[in-house]
Amino acid sequence: MRIDMIDSVLSDLNGSSADIEASSVVSTDGLIIAAQLPSTMDEDRVGAMSAAMLSLGDRTAQELGRGTLDQVLVKGDEGYVLMIHAGPDAVLTVLAKASARLGLVFLDVKRAAESIAKLV
Amino acid sequence: MHHHKIIFTGPVGSGKTTAIETLSDVPVVCTDQRATDSNEIGKPNTTVAMDYGKILLKSGETIHLYGTPGQDRFDFMWDILTEGGIGLIILVDDSNTNPSDDLARFLTAFSDFIHQTAVAIGVTHTDITVLPDLQRYHRLLERFELCCPLFEADARDPRDMSRLMESLLLSLDPGIHAPPPEDNDETT
Repeated sequence: MRIDMIDSVLSDLNGSSADIEASSVVSTDGLIIAAQLPSTMDEDRVGAMSAAMLSLGDRTAQELGRGTLDQVLVKGDEGYVLMIHAGPDAVLTVLAKASARLGLVFLDVKRAAESIAKLV
Repeated sequence: MHHHKIIFTGPVGSGKTTAIETLSDVPVVCTDQRATDSNEIGKPNTTVAMDYGKILLKSGETIHLYGTPGQDRFDFMWDILTEGGIGLIILVDDSNTNPSDDLARFLTAFSDFIHQTAVAIGVTHTDITVLPDLQRYHRLLERFELCCPLFEADARDPRDMSRLMESLLLSLDPGIHAPPPEDNDETT
């Protein structure tokens, strides 16, 4: 089943580096498709926030002449949230540690997003 | 130059995005996304972050219009968008199965903001309701101990939307559209 395949992409992603703590795939209107999140986190919340952020990012990039959106990165003092399109209808959201090596994270996440885009 | 911010909210499909498109003097910023539950919500797209438009008044003042998403899962946007607002417009889709409950839900969710500012309520989709009944909303407002403007409004109609805006502004500042005082008139 496709959901299983998306789940296994997320497992691979979370396992690919200790920097990545959690990840989820969300439809662009904010509903969870697949998630590997800590139990303390509310899936629906993550879904809605990812959709809102990515959509605003899309519009901001366009309105301010930055072209097509590639990713939205949020940095807090305890880590990063990275949101990236996985095809036109889905968002891949990844939570990474504050100490993460971003170059590697970007690379892994981009690859995962490409695989997921083929599955949604 | 003065800036004022008004927020549009209400359940999915009540006409928030349309209302802002109708009122705005500038191209509207929408965050419409394809709805995966389009059958359930009865429309192909849905707002996921916000809509934004503005009204430019002759006086040089600007009214910024912000529309919220309708689904509860986006309620974090409700807090974000009401920050600094001077008033709230709630649109209720009269053709929904239980529009009074919808209105009650939004009056509750926004109660703090409503008590600090003002609210006006537009009842939409009455053209496709068999028996529009505004009394049920009035009864609800009584239960919430609210006295505020409420009338039928078509989100596509600029006149309806201006009327809704004006009624909100009037309840914020009753002097806004008052005619100049007449000269002493002896006749009674």
